[in-house]
Amino acid sequence: MTQDEFFAKLQAKFPKLEKAAAPVKDYLTVRLSSKDQIEPVAQFLKDSGFDILDMLTATDLLGPVDMKGFIRQQNFNPFLPDGATPEIESAATAGYPYRPAMDLLWSFISVENKLRVIVRLEQPREGTSVPSLVPMFKSADWQERETFDLLGIKFEGHPNLTKILTPDFTVGHPLRKDYVHVKDRFDE
Amino acid sequence: MAMILEKLPGLTKGLPGGELLLTTSDYFIDLGRRQSMWPMTFGLACCAIEMMASYASRLDFDRMGVIPRASPRQADVMIVAGTVCKKMAEPILEIYHQMPEPRFVISMGSCANCGGPYYDSYSVVKGVDRIVPVDVYIAGCPPRPEALQYAVVKLQEKIAKMSLKKGLATSQQEKGSRDINA
Repeated sequence: MTQDEFFAKLQAKFPKLEKAAAPVKDYLTVRLSSKDQIEPVAQFLKDSGFDILDMLTATDLLGPVDMKGFIRQQNFNPFLPDGATPEIESAATAGYPYRPAMDLLWSFISVENKLRVIVRLEQPREGTSVPSLVPMFKSADWQERETFDLLGIKFEGHPNLTKILTPDFTVGHPLRKDYVHVKDRFDE
Repeated sequence: MAMILEKLPGLTKGLPGGELLLTTSDYFIDLGRRQSMWPMTFGLACCAIEMMASYASRLDFDRMGVIPRASPRQADVMIVAGTVCKKMAEPILEIYHQMPEPRFVISMGSCANCGGPYYDSYSVVKGVDRIVPVDVYIAGCPPRPEALQYAVVKLQEKIAKMSLKKGLATSQQEKGSRDINA
């Protein structure tokens, strides 16, 4: 089964699905329109032979913010002259301008068909909450905890949504662009 | 006497008085300590790969009496090889406290010395000397195995100057490890 054949099959079942504007490498990349779609789409993928949830992650698209905390030098680009403002807008990928949004990504693999499908979903940045895939894919467990720990995205229905990477005393979610480090007992 | 012990052990049989030797207790104790420095086996990051290369046959740490031990209770020296995360700081402190005195710490590589490239990170301790006293620092990212062996030679020189009269601990060790829970 090729990518196009599978996409036709996927679109017959979910007519609202469309290919993402910016695909991930040359994989079949689909973009969901709402978070209610992720569970039926994942169930359909699992039933059609996609038995591995390879990756689950998210990106904060807010872009560079007012730099506080750990960054010592505002002008982080060494090739800019002193006092110049970094070119923020042009640094963004085409089709992905910086905006207050969380871009979630699931990557499913079918070993049988030698196919990989990337599912993307954009959610509002504040109070992001999406359904958990743990009941379908066991590998989602720790990856959803990691995404929660580093980006603060909540997964509804996760059996144990707690910190997994950062120590207990870390305040906040470090990969959020507006993260400000709170000094702990190891910082002086 | 020290020269005879190190260089001409065969001569002692021909000395008047048979096999009896007179020397200072400091010399004997320091000799034993510096020729059998057993490190605790653990690595934290890519420096540990260079540490493994030091143990392997090409550079052969065993010839210097450095034999890795799997338990901190049998170890004399802790080689902190790699980045010390804040989450890893408490296990390192626990290992340090489980080692019998006198205990020594070698800080290997930029990360363990001062945080290195992760100085601005939210999760890295900026130098292992913020939690335990360090005897020898090795520069490099990562240092070559020869640099680690040179650090062991320097630590042997340091141990050779230790004296029971002055107390077991060096001045740095008397400060002790930092109580991070305080």
